Amino acid sequence: MNPDSKKLAASFYGRVNAPIVERCRVNFCTDLEKSVLMSNFERRGWHQVSPDDEWNFYWASTQTCRNLFSVESGYRMNDNQMINHFPNHYELSRKDLLVKNIKRYRKELEREGNPLAEKAEVVLQGGQVVTRYVHLDFVPVTFVLPADYNMFVEEYRKSPQSTWIMKPCGKSQGTGIFLINKLSKLKKWSREAKAPFHPQLTKESYVISRYIDNPLLIGGKKFDLRLYVLVTSFRPLKAYLFQLGFCRFCTVKYDTSVTELDNMYVHLTNVSVQKHGGDYNSIHGGKMSVQNLKLYLEGTRGKAVTDKLFAAMQWLIVHSLKAVSSVMANDRHCFECYGYDIIIDNQLKPWLVEVNASPSLTSTTVNDRILKYKLIDNILSVVLPPEGVPDVRWNKQPNVEALGNFDLLIDEELMEKDEQTSASNRGHKSHKNRTT
Amino acid sequence: MDGIKEDAIHNTALKLAEEIKNLSIYKSFYSDIQKLVSSPNVKKEDFKQSLQEAMKEKGLDTKLRNTVYHWVRTQSKNNKLDPLTCLSKASSQWEKRIHKSLNSMCSDLETSLAKLRPQSEQDDIAEKWNELSTYSLDLSKYRPVYAPKDFLEVLLTLSGYVPFTREDEPKWEFAHLPLQVKTLDQLRKEYPEWASGEPLLGANPESRCALGGGALGAERAALGARVSALRYAPVAQEFLKRGSPHCLRAGLWAQVLGVEITPHQTANFNQLKKSVLEVDLMIDKLIFKDVQLTASNDDQYFVFEDLLYQVMLCFSRDGEILQQLKGCVGSALTVTIKGKQTSPDNTTVFPPSGIIPFHGFSMYATPFCYLYDEPVQLYYTFRAFYIRYWHRLHNISTHPQGIVSLCLLYERLLEANEPLLWIHFKNINIHPVRVVFKWLMRAFSGHLPPDQLLFLWDAILGYDSLDILPLLAVAILSFRKENIFQVNTIQNVDAVLADLSTISIVPLLQLALMKP
Ligand SMILES: Nc1ncnc2c1ncn2[C@@H]1O[C@H](COP(=O)(O)OP(=O)(O)OP(=O)(O)O)[C@@H](O)[C@H]1O
Repeated sequence: MNPDSKKLAASFYGRVNAPIVERCRVNFCTDLEKSVLMSNFERRGWHQVSPDDEWNFYWASTQTCRNLFSVESGYRMNDNQMINHFPNHYELSRKDLLVKNIKRYRKELEREGNPLAEKAEVVLQGGQVVTRYVHLDFVPVTFVLPADYNMFVEEYRKSPQSTWIMKPCGKSQGTGIFLINKLSKLKKWSREAKAPFHPQLTKESYVISRYIDNPLLIGGKKFDLRLYVLVTSFRPLKAYLFQLGFCRFCTVKYDTSVTELDNMYVHLTNVSVQKHGGDYNSIHGGKMSVQNLKLYLEGTRGKAVTDKLFAAMQWLIVHSLKAVSSVMANDRHCFECYGYDIIIDNQLKPWLVEVNASPSLTSTTVNDRILKYKLIDNILSVVLPPEGVPDVRWNKQPNVEALGNFDLLIDEELMEKDEQTSASNRGHKSHKNRTT
Repeated sequence: MDGIKEDAIHNTALKLAEEIKNLSIYKSFYSDIQKLVSSPNVKKEDFKQSLQEAMKEKGLDTKLRNTVYHWVRTQSKNNKLDPLTCLSKASSQWEKRIHKSLNSMCSDLETSLAKLRPQSEQDDIAEKWNELSTYSLDLSKYRPVYAPKDFLEVLLTLSGYVPFTREDEPKWEFAHLPLQVKTLDQLRKEYPEWASGEPLLGANPESRCALGGGALGAERAALGARVSALRYAPVAQEFLKRGSPHCLRAGLWAQVLGVEITPHQTANFNQLKKSVLEVDLMIDKLIFKDVQLTASNDDQYFVFEDLLYQVMLCFSRDGEILQQLKGCVGSALTVTIKGKQTSPDNTTVFPPSGIIPFHGFSMYATPFCYLYDEPVQLYYTFRAFYIRYWHRLHNISTHPQGIVSLCLLYERLLEANEPLLWIHFKNINIHPVRVVFKWLMRAFSGHLPPDQLLFLWDAILGYDSLDILPLLAVAILSFRKENIFQVNTIQNVDAVLADLSTISIVPLLQLALMKP
């Protein structure tokens, strides 16, 4: 190859070749010494300090962040400081609050007469007819227990043969989760939970959701999707979707028979659960990339349905964020990267299962490490102004190169601007039309 | 002049008509035509014209054209035994070695090559047929019969079989073989669409991860849908030259390869499954082992593990493969099935397909999992691909598409177009084919991400040639040459070339083919 074509070729070379970042003095501080974080900070030439020192960038745990923002702490951030959580992220990341916020959001739209809140009747498997939102039906029907017990029983009666999944609100990694297909089992559970020898359980609230019992299977196995979403502002909403998500597969074939109802290797896709199964493979960790999922779906199901599925996932993410945007404390110092857990059913409809405010940064495989390294790298370049030093006065409009593997999902500020310009263009045109 | 030509056409037509009578589709085709002739659409007064019209309408015309196309393709293949007897000698010695090592593995493990499966085991496999990963087998003592590395060692001794070696030539082994291979300029003529810089699907690496498709994507999708509906194999082949949209590939590949799933095919596949259940071949363990060593550990393919077991096991039982490849692959073993009564049918060709898998053999099939989720569909397209191309990559022959010629083509391309790399390899005393051989032998499967690999295989089908494999190998080396210049051991060169996950093959190949 001649040198010119070589130059050309170099531009095709997609490897994450550490671009030369301007080394500016940024003092960072972290609660989490994960290698994917530390190596990114190091590469940028940042300087580590303790939380009591003058820091510009804090990668904090959710707890630290809440403490910092609490009234008692009296901490005030300056313009050159930035932190990786919103103070009340739990509005999105707690299972019960997420559902509460989405329900409220739908009601509000309905009250406004917004077409998005359109409802229609659907026929359940058992033949019963229920009313569902047409465009905003993206979380499985969910109730908080014990508070909504009566409402749950009412819904349960509509289709008594369906399965439900119980999850403790405050826990993660699949702990405390179980499936229920009989009301008697729930009654038994609530009796036990109230029993004197389980005093700690009485305090805990649970969510109970309709179990998606028709998940899309590949190779006969259930999986869920982990997508990463970066939010840099809630009002106006600015959010980005990371292209490199992955699917997490169960190690065991999917089986809806009652005997397998208690086999969590069949039903839960959490890596923390699957890891303990005998069939866990540590080379790939049961993870397949979202790009390959897309390739597979296009190849075997066609492009139109695949595109529709991916559009529906973006829709789901945007509306889950809009549902909380009014209640989020929109502090300018904050940004947050959410881990979205989504299940796709065999009709290729995506369902939102959960949103994590501190998605795991532990790498289970080599590919995982590469992905998470890129994720952090791209987050940093999106949230920081071009000069590379945190600055809340910046308009939070990163240029295209800074996006890396992020795609812009929504930027309400830009949308408004566009609308204004196109409105004025239209005005301009019609004006011209009139004069000519 | 014209007379002679017409005569020739006439003779070919006669020959064709005879040949078609021997094809499996003939009977049903003939009866379809008979039905058509007796229909009111065909008129006695204007018999020829109206029959042709009616055939077109019913799709029989396309069927006939496709039949001729597929027949011609099998004819033009060089099906005769190797003209270079020296290579056929090498080939049969290699085959003997494989057979010997199979036999000694058997005696070491105190098992036999073929034995009847006890009923309980048959039931067990039948029950677990859809999740064979849960079928427990102790494979700890089984090893692949050979790996690409071993095969390469054999190929590197080939020049020893050639009587004349000129002293003044450097000892680059393949160069001594009296085989013709193309130059880069000739390749440019072979791939005119690529060489002239026509827009190709996959040429824009930006569109790789992005959710949308782009203008070219939309254009190709629209055109492809029309091509696909036409169901005419040569047109589908032509279309593949510039790359297929992912969503149309499954159908287009099947068309080009003449794969159509009829009840007959399905029954045939079930028959293969039945013979897997009945007879336990030692090969089965090797197949399980191979899938486990490759696909099961690969994040791109592990989800398809169970599908692959089915397909690869059935493949080993398929006598049609041996039939169709007669003369291209060596002779197979015949062994007695232990546990069967002495009778004329207590022997079997081992394995019935005649193909003994090596380490990584299943990778020839894995990419098809992205196109078909039905085992039968997957099986027949994979099998057709194998019969047309892949068998050439692990058998010794002088065929211009055989692995020996491809290695030589690679060497020549590298020497002529990257002389500095060539010299570097000589200086550090590494045979340049060593660093790319596993790519060539597996047609890059398992080395490139599936989306890239499928574009590469589109081009193989589109141009009906494996020449693109050595060309891509050279293009990748040339792309990474600055890094290769920095290192001087085989381990380090391998390290530079280990990760191809970021390579976009279409722009890279197009760059190599476009005139500087
Ligand atoms: N409604 C549902 N239908 C089907 N499967 C579900 C449903 N909800 C949850 N699951 C399965 O259970 C798993 C655990 O659920 P979820 O993520 O809500 O729990 P968690 O314990 O908070 O896990 P995490 O570690 O992700 O926080 C999911 O990954 C999914 O596979």
